[in-house]
Amino acid sequence: MTQGRSGKWQVTFRVFRYKRDAGLARYDTFPLEIGPDETVLDGLEKIWAFQDRSLAFRHACHHASCGTCGMRINGVEKLACIVPVHEVARDGGTVLCEPLRSFPLVSDLVVDVGQFFRRLEEANFEIIRIAEPLPQAQEEALTRFENCIECGLCVSACPVAASDELYLGPATLAASWRMKEEPRSANVPRVLANADQEHGCWRCHAAFECSEVCPSNVDPAAAIMALRRELLKRKLFRRSDNAG
Amino acid sequence: MRTGRNSGMPWLVQAISGLALVALLGLHMIANHFVVEGGLRTYEDVLDYLSTPAIFVLEVVFLLVVVPHAFLGLRAMLLDLGLKPRIQRILDIILGALGISASLYGIALFVTLQGRI
Amino acid sequence: MQDDQRGISRALAWFNVSGRKMGSWAFALNRLTGIGLTLYLLLHLGVLTLLVLGEAQWDAFIALARSPLILALDVVLIFGILYHGLNGIRVALVGMGIAVRWQKALFWGLMALGALLLAVSGWLIFTI
Ligand code: HEM
Ligand code: SF4
Ligand code: SF4
Ligand code: FES
Repeated sequence: MTQGRSGKWQVTFRVFRYKRDAGLARYDTFPLEIGPDETVLDGLEKIWAFQDRSLAFRHACHHASCGTCGMRINGVEKLACIVPVHEVARDGGTVLCEPLRSFPLVSDLVVDVGQFFRRLEEANFEIIRIAEPLPQAQEEALTRFENCIECGLCVSACPVAASDELYLGPATLAASWRMKEEPRSANVPRVLANADQEHGCWRCHAAFECSEVCPSNVDPAAAIMALRRELLKRKLFRRSDNAG
Repeated sequence: MRTGRNSGMPWLVQAISGLALVALLGLHMIANHFVVEGGLRTYEDVLDYLSTPAIFVLEVVFLLVVVPHAFLGLRAMLLDLGLKPRIQRILDIILGALGISASLYGIALFVTLQGRI
Repeated sequence: MQDDQRGISRALAWFNVSGRKMGSWAFALNRLTGIGLTLYLLLHLGVLTLLVLGEAQWDAFIALARSPLILALDVVLIFGILYHGLNGIRVALVGMGIAVRWQKALFWGLMALGALLLAVSGWLIFTI
């Protein structure tokens, strides 16, 4: 519990481990000395560099834009690259690192995001071209969806995704709403029909966990509710102008 | 837009029946218990209560709203099992049959009691 | 719990609220009360059969139902109804795209109303 030189803390990393061949999952602990500015990702990199070369985790950008380092830190979905260790542990304390829920496990903290990306693709989600000017009034609303960094935190946090494998999930549904609002080249009727299914937007139980954990302020839950309102309007009032 | 079993309709029916239940269940509880001396009706009192046509209608409507709501709720939870469509269809039929039986049973009950007034 | 789970354990994952915020708790409790109310509804319909059997059977049941233990269970029932019904109002409205922005305030407002109604009903149950 000693406050070391230059404000360094002694922190134990408790990390979920799983290797397909070795079978059962377990937790490994790694003692680390952590400086005031170091993030959880920095800690994991130190473990990899100095203690265990077999530790698997994903990362790229180190600044919350690539969306690859998502994991559960002390049980809550976060981007490891922007969470200072000092925020989630005390000196002498423990940080628990686990992979995202509701994704197939690959190895240690790495999960298979293939299905997740395929679903986003089905929603015709695309990266916006910066050169295209947006209508001024819509800018605020649209940039929210643009912000999705496809990190999957929302899916891991969602209690419905945890239960229902077929659930399209908050990110895909938020993307669907985004494509409806400003379609670009998207096939809107198809995108809406894709969302309008029992394992689509109607499966959501309005838990809003997705919006709680989204590191990019996408607010997927609000998007889902907007999507439902739109679909209801079309069903009830037969306003199927551009819908299938 | 889809409107069938696979669409948002089951959810919508559940939400609207739920909202209706706020009034129906509220009235049911107040009329049956909270305005009653001792909180529970004796046999005589029950027959007397059901002899008012408006009450009779209230109770039947309540039954016919609460049963679909409850069975749609069970269905929503079973959907989380990620069942194969064929099994889901079979379950839908079973739940539907159970719901209809419960409603018919309730109505038979009311009618029997009505006959004794 | 890890993620390659299938079937039953996966279907029960909604109930794992550890580390979660208000929304998951609200949802899990809504489910639990929904299940409870449905079981109660079936039980209730079953018990009403006593009315058909006749006056003696029904009135004996009513005497039993006035015992303090059953009355205490009635308070649990009222809690279930109030929680599920009031939270249900929020879920139904928000789920149709109404008041989405205020959903948390709506939740706590409804819960405050629920607490008040629960207190009043609890008092009535034991005094009426
Ligand atoms: C008093 C007014 C009521 C309201 C406003 C209400 C509202 C709702 C709503 C909106 C849902 C959907 C929840 C979701 O999509 O996550 C729901 C689910 C449910 N309700 Fe109700 N309800 C009421 C009374 C009842 C009663 C009396 C019963 C039982 C007899 C019941 C049983 C259920 C069940 C089993 C579910 C499924 C739970 C789930 O899917 O998680 N409800 N209710
Ligand atoms: S609001 Fe819907 S999508 Fe978001 S976490 Fe809750 S259930 Fe999942
Ligand atoms: S909606 Fe938010 S939490 Fe979900 S994938 Fe996009 S950025 Fe991540
Ligand atoms: S490393 Fe890119 S988001 Fe964390």
